[in-house]
This record gives sequence, structure tokens and C-alpha cells, in this order.
Amino acid sequence: MKIKQLLILLLAASLLAVSCSKDDDDEINLPSGDFANGILVSNEGPFNNGSGTVTFISENLGSQEDAIYKKVNGEDLGNVVQSIGFNEDHAYIISNVSRTVTVVDRYTFEKITDISDGFENPRYFVAVNGKGYVTDWGDPNNDSDDYVAVIDLATNAVQSTISVNFGPERLLAKGNAIYVAHQGGYGQNDIISVINTDSNTVTATIQVGSVPNSLQLDDAGNLWVLSAGTPSYAGTESGGVLSMIDTSSNTVTAHLDFETSEHPNLLSVEGSILYYYLNGSVYEIDNSALTLPGHGILDGVNFYAMSVSKGKLYGTNAGDFASRGTLAVYDLNSKANIKTMTVGIVPGGVYFN
Amino acid sequence: MLTDNSLFLFLVLLLGPRLYAQTDSIIALDEVLLSDARLGQFSSGIKIETLNDSVVHNNSSTLTDLLQYNSSIYIKENGYGMVSSVSFRGTNAQQTAVIWNGININSQFNGQTDFNTISTPNYDNISVRSGGGSVQYGSGAVGGSVHLNNTLLFQNHFDNRLRLDYGSFNTAHVNYGTSFGNEKLALNLNFDYRKSDNDYKYLGTDRRNENGAFENFNLGLDVGYFLSESNLMKFYQNTFVGDRDFSGTLTAPSNDNYKDLTSRSLLEWSNFNDKKVARLKFAHLYERYRYYANKNTDNYDFGESNNFIINYDYKYRLGKITVNGILDFNTVKAKGSSINTSNRNVLAGIFLMSHRVTDKIKYDISIRKELNSDYNTPLVYAVNGKYDITDGYTVNLNTSKNFRVPTFNDLYWVGAGAAGNEEVVPEASYQVELGQNLGFKSYKFNITGYAIWSDDLIQWQPDVSGIWTPVNINRTRQYGLELQADVDKQFGSHQLLWKNSYTYTRSIDLKTDYDLIYVPEHKFNSNLAYEYKKWGGTYQFLYNGPVYITTDNTEILSGYTVSNIGLFRNLHVNRIDFHVAFNVNNLFNANYQSVAYRPMPNRNFQIGVTTKF
Repeated sequence: MKIKQLLILLLAASLLAVSCSKDDDDEINLPSGDFANGILVSNEGPFNNGSGTVTFISENLGSQEDAIYKKVNGEDLGNVVQSIGFNEDHAYIISNVSRTVTVVDRYTFEKITDISDGFENPRYFVAVNGKGYVTDWGDPNNDSDDYVAVIDLATNAVQSTISVNFGPERLLAKGNAIYVAHQGGYGQNDIISVINTDSNTVTATIQVGSVPNSLQLDDAGNLWVLSAGTPSYAGTESGGVLSMIDTSSNTVTAHLDFETSEHPNLLSVEGSILYYYLNGSVYEIDNSALTLPGHGILDGVNFYAMSVSKGKLYGTNAGDFASRGTLAVYDLNSKANIKTMTVGIVPGGVYFN
Repeated sequence: MLTDNSLFLFLVLLLGPRLYAQTDSIIALDEVLLSDARLGQFSSGIKIETLNDSVVHNNSSTLTDLLQYNSSIYIKENGYGMVSSVSFRGTNAQQTAVIWNGININSQFNGQTDFNTISTPNYDNISVRSGGGSVQYGSGAVGGSVHLNNTLLFQNHFDNRLRLDYGSFNTAHVNYGTSFGNEKLALNLNFDYRKSDNDYKYLGTDRRNENGAFENFNLGLDVGYFLSESNLMKFYQNTFVGDRDFSGTLTAPSNDNYKDLTSRSLLEWSNFNDKKVARLKFAHLYERYRYYANKNTDNYDFGESNNFIINYDYKYRLGKITVNGILDFNTVKAKGSSINTSNRNVLAGIFLMSHRVTDKIKYDISIRKELNSDYNTPLVYAVNGKYDITDGYTVNLNTSKNFRVPTFNDLYWVGAGAAGNEEVVPEASYQVELGQNLGFKSYKFNITGYAIWSDDLIQWQPDVSGIWTPVNINRTRQYGLELQADVDKQFGSHQLLWKNSYTYTRSIDLKTDYDLIYVPEHKFNSNLAYEYKKWGGTYQFLYNGPVYITTDNTEILSGYTVSNIGLFRNLHVNRIDFHVAFNVNNLFNANYQSVAYRPMPNRNFQIGVTTKF
């Protein structure tokens, strides 16, 4: 008897779900779906053989679901899930070794399509004016075949490529411009390319520190670029540089230099405060500061990815890169660890849905 | 085959009394014929299984296939024919040494040997020596060692062997061997070629192994010449050329290609009499690889190394005690796309002693010390003995300390977010083993238990600034049990050979208490060969238990069983022997992976003809 009732309930619920998704087109910007209002963690997965996954964690950190793509779609996502980009209610999941961008509904994670033609070594995604832009290293042994692929988001196909300087990695959009940080693939590079999305051409390059690994916009519209500096094994070691770029003139208007042996990364921003990770500590710096902070706000951590949102800091630890990693959440006021959760193998990105 | 057997019987009858009389000079002679002499000497109580000529030649031509069905070693492959790595007694691939005619041939770059780059038909016998052997064989002989041996026959003969195989996935194999000799001179020449499209089905999907084609070529030459009754010169040469596309995985396509070339030469002069054997060896080992991340371009990563060895070995027998001193100088020069030209010089001194206490009790003690230009190598030792309690019942006991040196990658790698570390030191490992052998006329049983403790294991991990670098961080413990039961029976025109091996293995990371990945707790293999007059059949069975694939033991790759079946017929036409065989591999079409996300072949067929003339 009870089982029957349960069945009917389930049936009713699924009918409801179907009608909901049908109604989606008419609704305005109200996220619905199992994975709305929460955190998405992209897990690269084992490097050689296997699949990356996406973990969903509810906003109050109360519930967690692992490998949601596989759960919803019944198939593996792809090898080495590098990053996720978003546009409206779609998420674009980049599987680097699989050379695929998987398009899903960002709230239900139902697969829309795979884009697998046009990529060789895809890294990061950003959307501007109905186009998706994906950085791609090309052949990592070749310094001159790097590009940004342009995806028509209506047809989900690569429509053109923009040839760029060596080693394009993270990118962000401001207005109609895209700023691409050239970390330099397996080697080193030290520039930011500016792409005009009306003409899809590189209109400027800005020199920053060596190995620019992360970039953010603050609430005043300044572009901040964090460079790690040249690693010790690559000849002459140099320290990291935090550069501020005025996007109206595309020039570096201020920069703060680290010690030669200091190689920071994972720049995050909330409002006018910047956060970065260096040698086991997280540092915080105001966008008007004239010097680098002397001490960290969190010590003894080991972060592989980091994001800040609504007064909380989210850091992942990839452990030995061959087992499940963790996501630790900190309150930025009290600096207290609110919760630490086990996520997937090599958690490499934290996103807010 | 029958004629071979009768010939053998004839030889035994004729030579038997003389062989069993065993004059000392004949012992010395037997010994100098084999370059890997210590496989027989100073190995009391060591478990050594030898796969002889007929096993080597009636199996598939890769060392991977041969050993996973015929030994207790666990082997995993990145798809059929791709990179193959072994785990011997729960240790890793760098802790298994591959020994070519007495010389350690593990790669200078990654410290291991890819078992799919060894063409087995080139060798007359292949031995699997279980347990530590660093005193005698140097770095990496921790879990055990695999010995590839060529033998020389100093009697009047001229034999030729030609084998042709063709099978599924457009797989073709040609092997030609010729052996010529008289009392003074012996010569073997061997040629092997194998290629395959290797585009097998991924069972349960509509896909194929799209980038898995391979082609390899091996040339071997062995020459021996008696300068006088007590002076023998020998020369061995082997060259292998491999060209493989590397398969993708279920989640990632591939257009990788890998080309490798190895060339090994050994010149050995032995001077011997009934009391002593002195040997002087010069060897040169060359290895080169080119890895194309995209085979459609000309860009590749490469590594190239040259290794010169001078070895002087003097053995002397004083009654029941035999002593042996060895001085070995080894100089390696390596370079690569991520390794600046670097050098390593190693001088090793080895002392071995063997004592036959009584006819039933024998033991050996040996030590080795290396002086190395790069790092400090520990003094290692081995103590091993055996006791023949009754006729057919033997107890073995041994203990040893062994090591594995950092590779050129570990020390000198630069680039792609990774850097070698010149501070790493050799891994050290201790072990103890107890074995019992029971042998009757047609039955043989062995049970062996062992435990291995390893410290300072080298592991690559990101440093504080995210650069991957090796450190001596890990500690492990392996323990296990090996069981073997063999039947070799002949009745009338029937001949039955049945070999079974079961291993129980535990391999524990002592820092986390988790099991190491890719070590099956249970492995079982069985080989049945039955022959009646001119007909025969074979059945091979392999079970590899489930393995953990994440270091926190949260993910498991299922275990699998694979069966191969074969039928053969021996023919004798115009004084030429033919052996025609038909084999079905993966008879039950099992869908299995030995490495996660890398499917192995579906059911496939092969027909082959071997002729001897």
C-alpha cells in the first residue's frame, strides 16, 4: 500500500519535473533545477585514465551530490575537466584531454550537446554577445599555433579561431573586450592579449609579470593580473607580480612585486578586496594598498583552486592527485573553517550557481 | 616434436653417464656458457622459474603475454601492446629489474622496462627470479627480476626455425632463427618482426581501438668462440626498434605516437679451469625514445642515453666454499628534451660466498657496495640458503637488503611544471622469504611466503609553489603468499603439462594504511597443454582480482578472467618438421580492462606455422 503511494508520488513528481522544464522558456531568470542555488566544484579526475566529475554542494553546505553529470546523463564527462564557463542558463564544461566542450543546462545538468570539433588543448571559456571564447594551447610543443576558438552559442559550433600569442590560459570579459592571460603553456609567457569581440581580432597586448596565472576585475572596473614569476627550474628565477591595468587605456597603472622566491597564484576578488594564495597561506589586500601584506589571513592550507563569494572563501586541496580531494569553506570575517567536504579527484575549480 | 623427443632421449642416454659423472671442468664449462652465471650460482634457496625454449616459442611473442600467463607477476597494459608495467610481489615497475644476459637493462629515464618492447622469440630461455637481487643485479631488483638469456651450443649443428603467424586486427608476425655450431664456434642469429592494426572493438560500445597500431622489429646475434680449451670469447648483440601509436581511453581520443630504439652489445672473455673462472666484460647499452604528442606533426619529446660497462669477475673454488669477487664500472650519459646532458659514474664492488655445508645444506652470503658520483648508495647484502630435508622436499630461507636508484628523470628533469631533485637518495628495501618445494616424479609444488619493507620511496608531488618534484617520502610494506602446482606426466603417447600459480598479495602504504593502487590481492593463472601423438591442445586461464585505482581506495577496477584456447598439429614432411597452431584468444569475449578506461581486445583468432629445418 505504502509502496503504491510512493510510486504515485514519484510519478507525479516526475510529471511535474517534465512540465517544469517545458515551462522554462516562459519563465524569466528564475533558476530551477536540482543544482540551482549552490556551488559547483569541477574535479579534473585522474590524469591518465578516467573521467573528471562535477560535485554540487547546496549553498548552505548542507547537502552534496557527487558526479552529477554522470548521474543525470548516464555517461562520463571527459578526461581532465579543466574548467567550467557559463552563459545565461548554460554551462560549458571543458575536458582538456578529451578535447571537448560539453554544453549542459547549468541548473539541471542535462546535456545539450558536445562540441568536439575545433579543439586541440582547450583550457578556459568566457561568453560575450552570443559567442563563446575558448583558449587553446594547440600542440603544447609548438609555441606558435595557440589560439582562441570562437563558438557560435546558437549553433554550438566553433565558427572561427583567433591566432594569439603563446600559452593562452584564463580569460575574462569586460564589455565587448576579452582579456586573455598568457601563462605560457608548459613554458613561460608574460602578456595579456586584448581581443575586440566585434572584429574578433587582438587589438592590444599588455606586458605583465612572468607567468600570469589569474586575473580579476574589482568593483571599480580595474583589471588585476597576478603573475607567478619565473620558476626556479626555468633559468633565472623571478618573483611574482600583482599588476593593475586600466582597461580604458589598457596600460599597467600599478604593480606590486613579490620576493624572487615567491610565486603566488589563485587571485580572487570580492568588491575591492583581492585574495591570493602563496606558499600555504591566503593573503588579502585592498585594491588601494601600496604594499603587499606581511602576513596571511589563513595559514597552513594547501590550495589547488580558490574562489571567494558572499563573505566566504572556498579552497580546494588536491592531496596526492590520485585520490579524492577536499573543499574547505572559510568565513572571511572570522577566518574560521566552516566546513570541509570530500569532493572528487583533483578539484580544480569552484563556481557559484 | 616426437623426433625431437627421441633425439633428446638418445642424447640423455648417450651423454647421461658422462653428465652425471660431473667432472669439475664440465661444471666450469656449463657455467661460462651462460653469461648470467649467478642465476645458477650463489642462488641457493632463491625461487627461480625458467621458461624454456618451447614455452617461449609456443607463446605470443611479447614478454607481457608470456609472463602474465606463465608467472606470478602481475602486469597491466595501457591497452593491448601499449606501455606495459609490472608489479612483482606488490612492488612497482621500477622495483623489477630486467636482466639481459646478466646485465640490468632498465631505462635510465624511468627506471623500468616496458615489457612490450621485449621480443621473446629472440631468447632461448627466460627466467623469473623472485625476491631481492640487488647485490648481484643492482638497482631495481627488489620485487624480483626477469632474466633474458641466450645460450650457445658448441656441437656440430645447423638448425633453422621459421615461424609465421597471422591473426585478427591484421596482426602479422615473422620470426626466423638460425643456429650454427661446431666444437669451437657457436652462432645464433634471430630476426623478429611483428605488426598489428590492433583496432579491436571496445566491447559494449560502438567504438574501436582507433590509435593502437604497432610495429616492431628485433635483431639478435650471439657468437661464441673457444680461443683455447680454457678461453672463451662471446659476443651478444640485440637491437629493438618499436613504433607504436598510443591508444586513447574511453574518455579521451589520442593521436600520440612513440618510437623507441634500444641496442645492447656485450663482449665477454672467460678464462677458466677446474678451480676458477675469470671473466672480463665490456657492454654498451643504448636507448632512445621519441614521443609525438601529435603524430601528424614533427614535434616530439625525446630521451637518449649511452651506458658503458666494464666488469671483471673472478670466482674461485676452495673445496666446499666458493668465493667470487666482482668489480663493475658503469658510466651513463643521458640527455633529452627535458634533461640537459648529464653523467653518472658508478663503481660497484661485490663479494659473494657460497658454502656447501653438506650435500643437503647450502647457503650463500653476499654484499655489494657502490660508489656513485650522484648520491650515496647503501651497502646491500643477501643471505640465502636451502636445506634438502628429504629427497624431493626442500626448504628455502633468505633475507636481503636491496635498493633502487633515482632515475635521470628523478634527478635532472626540467620543464612542463616539473623539476627533478638532485637531493633524492636511493630507495632502500628489506625482505625476508620462506619457501618450501615438494617434488615427485610428475608433480611439483611450491609454497612461498615473503614480506618486504621499503623506505625512502621516491614519489613525485607538487612543492609549495605547485612544481612537481620527486621526494623520498613514502614507506610501504608488501607481504604475500605464492602457491604453485605443476603436473608433467607422460603415459603412452599422451603427454600432459599443467602449471598453476596462485598469488595472494598485499601492498600497504604505511603512511596512510591504504592499499597501493593496481596490486590485485588475488591472481591465478593456469596453463594446460595436452599432446597425443601428433595432435595437441592448450588452454590458458588468467584471473586478476579487483584492484584499487585511487590511493584512498575509494575506486575499484573490477577483476577479470581471460581464457585462451589453442589446437596444434605436428607434421613431418620431407624431413622438415611443421607445427601448425590455431589459437582463440579471449575465448569468452570478456570485456575487461587491465588499466581503467583502457579496454582490452575482444575475442580474436590467430593461425601460425612453425617449421624447423
